[in-house]
Amino acid sequence: MATPAVRMFRRLEGLFCVYKPSGVHWKLVRDSIETNLLKGLNATPSQPLPQEVRFLAQPSSETEAPKGLTLSATSVPALSKHPLVTGPEFRNIRVGVGHRLDAFSSGVLVLGVGNGNKTLNDLYRTRVTRDYTLEGEFGTATHDFTHSGGVMERSTYDHITQDKLERVLAMLEGANQKALLMYSNVDMHSQEAYEMAVQGLLGPEGKSAPILTGLRCIHFQPPNFILEVQCLNETQKYLRKLVHEIGLELRSTAVCKGIRRTRDGLFTLQDALTHHYWTAADITQAIRQYHSSKKHRKRSQSPAKKPALKTSEDVTAAQQNKANEEAAVGTIKKLVAETSS
Amino acid sequence: MAFPCVRPCPRHVSAGLQVCGYATLSKASRPQEKSSAGPVFQYVGQNKKPTHKVFVWGFSFTGALGIPSFVVPDNGRKKPRKYQLTPYRLETAAQISSAACGYGFSLIASSTKDTSKLWGMGLNKDSQLGFQRTQHSRHQSYDYVLEPSPVALPLVKPLQTRVLQVACGRAHSLVLTDRAGVFSMGNNSYGQCGRRIVEDEVYSGSHIIHKIEGFSSRVVQVACGQDHSLFLTETGKVLACGWGADGQTGLGHHNISSTPVEVGGDLSGVEVQQISTYGDCSLAVSRDGQLFGWGNSEYRQLASVTEATQISSPRHLPLKGCGKVVQAACGGSQVAVLNDKGEVFVWGYGILGKGPNLSESSTPEMIPSTLFGRSEFNPSVAVTRIRCGLSHFAAVTDRGELFVWGKNVRGCLGIGKRDDQYFPWRVTVPGQVVDVACGVDHMVALAKSLL
Repeated sequence: MATPAVRMFRRLEGLFCVYKPSGVHWKLVRDSIETNLLKGLNATPSQPLPQEVRFLAQPSSETEAPKGLTLSATSVPALSKHPLVTGPEFRNIRVGVGHRLDAFSSGVLVLGVGNGNKTLNDLYRTRVTRDYTLEGEFGTATHDFTHSGGVMERSTYDHITQDKLERVLAMLEGANQKALLMYSNVDMHSQEAYEMAVQGLLGPEGKSAPILTGLRCIHFQPPNFILEVQCLNETQKYLRKLVHEIGLELRSTAVCKGIRRTRDGLFTLQDALTHHYWTAADITQAIRQYHSSKKHRKRSQSPAKKPALKTSEDVTAAQQNKANEEAAVGTIKKLVAETSS
Repeated sequence: MAFPCVRPCPRHVSAGLQVCGYATLSKASRPQEKSSAGPVFQYVGQNKKPTHKVFVWGFSFTGALGIPSFVVPDNGRKKPRKYQLTPYRLETAAQISSAACGYGFSLIASSTKDTSKLWGMGLNKDSQLGFQRTQHSRHQSYDYVLEPSPVALPLVKPLQTRVLQVACGRAHSLVLTDRAGVFSMGNNSYGQCGRRIVEDEVYSGSHIIHKIEGFSSRVVQVACGQDHSLFLTETGKVLACGWGADGQTGLGHHNISSTPVEVGGDLSGVEVQQISTYGDCSLAVSRDGQLFGWGNSEYRQLASVTEATQISSPRHLPLKGCGKVVQAACGGSQVAVLNDKGEVFVWGYGILGKGPNLSESSTPEMIPSTLFGRSEFNPSVAVTRIRCGLSHFAAVTDRGELFVWGKNVRGCLGIGKRDDQYFPWRVTVPGQVVDVACGVDHMVALAKSLL
């Protein structure tokens, strides 16, 4: 009974990530993905039109008029079930967004389809870090910390060297490391706190102020510079303000020219789909890749080369997905029952 | 944001368009106009050097912090501040290059050739800060000095001598100069000042600042224990004087020595590069990275070579797994060493820095470098300086961060709370820390600004 369309619908359950271009609201991205998925689903060949038997009057082939009405049984397609009459089969598909990106930023945006939305919730309840690349420029300060805002002040920057920038970044990192310890809920007088501090596991659970777990400069050519940031609980506005504050610490001013998210949890730029690939076929393939990599990780759960927080994400995600898949099978059975009736 | 100097840079001001620097705030994003009129501010020139600052924290009622308003408030509304729990800036007249904390007092010194090169604050009941003339009478000296007051050293050529280092003990202090040798002041009941002991001498209000004689070569480092003094000469020899009941003088006996005598034992023929002491145990690091210790061992500081509670002659301490020792720091009941890779090893008794479960150890225990800020983003962070107070530790990394741990005696850790700290914790000092001096219940940090 499973037509190619329904089979495809069943496969569309999981997480994938897209590359959100800058200048676009995240909701537009989500809406266009949803539209494309529905278009793809409705374009796949669905079950053929059911035939029904109708008694149709025979067209008169002889000239003499017959005495009575001759009807013949013919099997004709049931027009009431034609898609042009009923409308497209798939009208709704649940597409959810993970951590949002504001209009100025670009980069990895994780989306969940169908039952993948439940995984989204659980995945983001565990501690997940995100990586960003911030492009900055010295010399101006604007009202919204971006290069396209209204200029508030201009200042010189020829005294800035990479060494001074590194010192300021080291100071900011130190303050953030301390914030990590302060926001964790562990009693500092216990041996457990010491063990966790050694492994780098101390940190906030759930909501907290934005904390940078890593900060470094990867390119420096005054007035431009590029920073790589790894953070928790952040907003993009906070990151632009960070660039502004780095300018202030260096006794100058700075604005942010671009923010790009290079990693969100386990999704990297490598896995992100660009605009050309926002079709149902490519998205199905991305979801399949996600499931297979998840199975691969579950099978090879070796104690961390990566920090332990990633394995805890894996474990909860894996458990959740298992539960999800079982739930998904249940709902799909229901779906199949509906379509057949 | 208070910037030190604000003046518009002349080459960017176009003729006549002296408008204020605000462009119209429009919601539409438009590209930056590089040639837009408006002043360009220059806050800092290309040749700006970092400013040097001094920060103090801890117990303030002895005056050891050097801030009189903590003890005697400026106006009637304010209350005296007994514990300063976070670093507080101490304004000094000159750039301070060396600082030392004793038991309730501090000495700060500048390496300048001006007449005032040394200031003291805190407890002065044994004239450990020299004679501090009172306002009302020139024959009386203050018992508590509340703000950094100049100490008048009896130098032959005061405008050509620099102070290199200061050290403070329980009730005495030592000052090392570059061409005038070592001066000592304070209590001499055990000969720790390196001069003849006078029976029933009254140390309060004493004018005596003694220039210690008897060194065969120039002294390059001084260290003060509780009631004894150690001197290191440029040839690598160690000399000691003072109280020896725990064998801390290392002279082979448990008696007092009132003049500096060369220390023998395992140190004979060894070139020492650093000495350290603060309580009753003493340590020396040789140039090839070996560690020697003598003195009190009740807290298992020297347990790697002896089960006795004291050693009166230096013994070589075989440390397994420490590598080449570069610096050593000795506290009251605990010991820390730093190796050439920037790793810190601790042992002894007390809060050692590996959680509450490790309260004593007779073998070196390494403190993981992740606690000092080493991570995937910064794999090469290393500790460059290690110091000990009486019951706490301080470590300065190469990035200029200060980490403290140990018993928080009257807020001496500077972490903002009075609880003990069982593993290394960052102290938020505005700037990069260059050096730190640890006392019993207070600390002094020398820092420089980031830019």
